[in-house]
Amino acid sequence: MSVDRREFLSIAATASGAFVLGFWVPTQSNAQSVPGAAWYEDPATPEINAWIVISPDDTVTIRIGQTELGQGVWTSNAMMVAEELQCDWNKVRPQYASANRDAREKAPEWTLNVPGNGAKDPKGGGEPGFANRDPHGVNGIPDSLYRRMRTNAASSVKDGRYYLQLAGAEARERLLLAASDLWTVPVSELTAKDSIINHTASGRTTTYGQIAGRAARTPHPHPETIKIKSPDQWTLMGTERKNLDVPAKVMGKTVYGIDVRVPGMKWAAVKACPVYGGTVKSYDFDNIRQLPGVRSAVQFPIPDPALTRGRIFSGGVAVIADTWYQAKTALDRMPIEWEIPPAHAAFNTANMRQALLAGLDQPGNVRVNQGNVDDVFTGAAKVVEATYSTPYLARARMEAGNATVLVTDNRVDIWIGDQSPQETRFSASKITGIPEENVYLNLCHLGGGFGRNGNGPQAEQAIMIANAHRGTPIHLLWTREEDFIGTTYRAMGMARLKAALDAEGWPVALEVRTAMQEGGFGPEASFDVASRYYVPNYRFSNHTTKFHVPVGTRRGVGQAAHEFYRESFMNELAHAAGKDPYYYRRELISRTSLPYKDDMIRALDIAAEMSGWGKPLPRGTAQAIALEERGGETNRMATVSAMVHTVSVSREGKVKLERVDIAHETGFSLVNPLSVKKQLEGQIIWFYNDAMHQANTIEEGRIVENNFDKFRISHIDEAPPEINIRFFKTGHWLLGMGHDRATSVQSAIGDAIFQITGKRLRDLPYGGQDLSWSIPDPTQNAVPRQL
Amino acid sequence: MAFDLTVNGTRHTIDADPTTPLLWVIREHLGLTGTKFTCGIGQCGACTLHIDGQAIRSCSVPANVAVGKRITTIEGISPDGSHPIQIAWKELDTPQCGYCQSGMIMSALALLQRRPDPSDADINASVTNICRCGTYHRVRQAIHVAANLMKSRRQQ
Repeated sequence: MSVDRREFLSIAATASGAFVLGFWVPTQSNAQSVPGAAWYEDPATPEINAWIVISPDDTVTIRIGQTELGQGVWTSNAMMVAEELQCDWNKVRPQYASANRDAREKAPEWTLNVPGNGAKDPKGGGEPGFANRDPHGVNGIPDSLYRRMRTNAASSVKDGRYYLQLAGAEARERLLLAASDLWTVPVSELTAKDSIINHTASGRTTTYGQIAGRAARTPHPHPETIKIKSPDQWTLMGTERKNLDVPAKVMGKTVYGIDVRVPGMKWAAVKACPVYGGTVKSYDFDNIRQLPGVRSAVQFPIPDPALTRGRIFSGGVAVIADTWYQAKTALDRMPIEWEIPPAHAAFNTANMRQALLAGLDQPGNVRVNQGNVDDVFTGAAKVVEATYSTPYLARARMEAGNATVLVTDNRVDIWIGDQSPQETRFSASKITGIPEENVYLNLCHLGGGFGRNGNGPQAEQAIMIANAHRGTPIHLLWTREEDFIGTTYRAMGMARLKAALDAEGWPVALEVRTAMQEGGFGPEASFDVASRYYVPNYRFSNHTTKFHVPVGTRRGVGQAAHEFYRESFMNELAHAAGKDPYYYRRELISRTSLPYKDDMIRALDIAAEMSGWGKPLPRGTAQAIALEERGGETNRMATVSAMVHTVSVSREGKVKLERVDIAHETGFSLVNPLSVKKQLEGQIIWFYNDAMHQANTIEEGRIVENNFDKFRISHIDEAPPEINIRFFKTGHWLLGMGHDRATSVQSAIGDAIFQITGKRLRDLPYGGQDLSWSIPDPTQNAVPRQL
Repeated sequence: MAFDLTVNGTRHTIDADPTTPLLWVIREHLGLTGTKFTCGIGQCGACTLHIDGQAIRSCSVPANVAVGKRITTIEGISPDGSHPIQIAWKELDTPQCGYCQSGMIMSALALLQRRPDPSDADINASVTNICRCGTYHRVRQAIHVAANLMKSRRQQ
């Protein structure tokens, strides 16, 4: 899609909501006079407020401050605005908000205070988390126009709901005021529904499109008095809505970063040193400069760690050519010598595992210490101990890393799928020396995210390359192998859990030690503050070791590994106690004083009931249950679910996830239950792959699994044939659900393997190990189904 | 060296090395960006298109293999998203990030053209594309819905 630079905007909306995403690229002169102005310039369609533009044909453009990466945020955000706006949903068209304007303008006063009384007030806005203003823009800029222009931590609905509802409500009130003014009737006599304003007494009607221009000039006298609707008043929110961008996606028309075409653009292929911290010693451009299409080569240093949150990636070299394939093939033929830090090249998975194990024996950072764990272990009737491990894991989103950057002497334009646009604008300014207010970032849809907020350095590399080619737009695209070098990893981790059981098999002491690379995310997850399962003596400590791999947030963050440790160990304890793992969990949660223990028990009960828990299963098939929670230690926002996984293992050792039964709380209400179902289905596959297939190992300091031949992603044949989801209502707002659900696939497959084969596996992934069995049921007497 | 390719019913003269992978000719020379690059080694299927009705992973096929044949990309199956397989995909709200879905649809379509009423085993054997968002549950349902829609269109 090569188009004229000034007309680099192609939004083709239809009544059904189909659209093609596009961007506007201001010219230099335009940009200098009114930076970014044309986004809003059309006098025929002045905005009602920063989120909403209504055209004369009643099209409602809703500006979205988050990045669509498959989680459905373009739809859920639009729903929250449209609910209050009371517009015709079929006329809604989402569009990315301007990141530049977000940084330039302050949020409206009426969005600054969260309405209501926190997590347990159904009429309120919950407990959005806004960090302090961060010059790097990592966390967005909290008092900036769009409040939260970042996409992370399953927070787009959780944090955005109140101000997006307010934005819709403010616009609706102004539309009503404008009609009241036009007809000189009291605003109280007007109703607004489906984009039509009605004055019943006089029979007059107008549409939002007709009145929008007047509404844009009609400020609300007391916007702070505008209320948001609570779930019992919702008519659009809380209903299943198909995603507004799906029609474009099934036509191949969605523009991802990789699809951006700018006139005069050249392509860059890059190689960064495969050992992190390495740089280019030498390269021989003369060797390839005669190849077709090749223009130049440019060496780039390790991106400043201040721009990549302290992470050390690698230096490298780029070849620039007319097409990407020309650049890539030339680069493959160019001799490159690396300067590799010997200490980094000495790392391999085996010695890193030993270092983590040794770390577990150190005192560590004790986060919780309740009762007297050591004394109880000394006189315990029975002690159970287990050590688990989880490997380094890449996100491996489908779209390989890319960015398109044009640097001129006084301006930077960036086109990128990016979950932290303000962070990238900051990087661009630092690298080029061009003031941040002259950095324009055009958001694109992302071909998967999964925690990309821990950005790899694709933007920084592209900016450095484009800065060396001022005036020429550079589109950097990583090969898949390069994407595995440029990403951040979930930290490799280990855990040792040790419990003392009393004569009846109930835990009387629990010690949890977790180890991960220093800088790994979520060390506190799932174990902090209080044990989720009752134990009178409890200690939890973190142990860190320094490695050279850049680590970041990956789907599930800390919960992914920690719930695997916790729920696997609960299965082992139930087995050691001779008790049913469902009732064992249920009893131990009921003994706690956790604020949401009733919701946790309900989740377990519903999942067990859905799955037919306790009914005889054919030999070779087993069920395992687990609790999933985030925020379960607090009385603030939380998300609780439970799942039962039915798993078979053939005599040849082939594992099949047969069925998943999910009990998931809605809180006061979900916003788009269809998106939640899709996210749950997707996370089952995600954690199935973590459980069965995926690991990134290190040899001589390099990532070994760097494409999908070695880093395996399951196909449709391994997807569970049956997924059942039941929602249940609870009395608080949710803490999000887009990244840390279905972690239980990991512990459940492990326990099913044990039940069927007698083999207890504690290192992920399980795949590739001999799981064949021929023995009679090894657990026939070992796991009785009674309390 | 120029050569001719027929893509979505239109004949194009391509000025490129004829051994360039078909994917890059489609994306870079013809500007049809619906067909995606992901792995470059034929593992994931994001680049799937049809050559004479057969699903092909275009990242691993030289462009000149397709000379004289009919190439169909996602952009060529309907002008407006009205192909039954697209309707089925929309009905199930199948895509999440959507990046793999062009290839997924082209693989499923090749199966449906060969086997109008595929079993789950047929789907498992033929639709071996990777979806990182994990949309398989809906992809399977959408293929069955598409099969029914295509059957009723044939009967009209």
